[in-house]
Amino acid sequence: MAARIGGPSSTNPHDTFEWGSEPVDSAKRFTAETAFSAVLVNTVREAVGNALGHNVLEILTMKGLLDEASNSREFDRKLHSLFGNGAAVLERIVVKDLNRRLGIRYDSEARFDYEKSLETAKQVCFVESRLK
Amino acid sequence: MSGGDVLSTLLASEIRADLLVLFHRNPGLIDTVDGIARRIGRTSITVNADVGELLQLGLLKQKRIGASEVVYLDRAKDRQILESVANHLKTINIGGEK
Repeated sequence: MAARIGGPSSTNPHDTFEWGSEPVDSAKRFTAETAFSAVLVNTVREAVGNALGHNVLEILTMKGLLDEASNSREFDRKLHSLFGNGAAVLERIVVKDLNRRLGIRYDSEARFDYEKSLETAKQVCFVESRLK
Repeated sequence: MSGGDVLSTLLASEIRADLLVLFHRNPGLIDTVDGIARRIGRTSITVNADVGELLQLGLLKQKRIGASEVVYLDRAKDRQILESVANHLKTINIGGEK
């Protein structure tokens, strides 16, 4: 199975996402990104809500934590300003839950990179949307 | 213990967060440490210290049933602990300063 995925470091001039020789147009890409963003926000809500309760989740929502949840850098920054060292633990449970939803293996012993983990999940989500 | 200290204790490790998720998803759960460890895909040796910290915090309680020592969520204490965390987070700006 061969897939090539255009991303920030892609050499594809139109930054398209390709499945074999078939490029994905920007409308499909937008739909896939919107779908991934929705999955991610739901996962963050569920993971934080289950760990710290729904009162905490509501406070975090009011503070705008979930406004740009699909922007991993921004989310990471906000999470660190609120939770300090605990942010990394929350990110791990978010990624663990996200991987479970998408059927990606999660290894809690492996080195953890939130941004890379989200990028992998996004690519799997895009490929799955192409197969539907 | 301040809300910030409580939050640090709750999120001190991935295992502790897994335990929180497990008990909040299953608030009526009563099981041995060994059973709890298996439910989160770990061994009792690796979860012992984290269960101990949550027992010390009062979020979990321990009692003997027959020959087994079991652990369960103290729902009233859990509500109280999460309330203190919520009150602490209310005071923090997302930019970082209180």
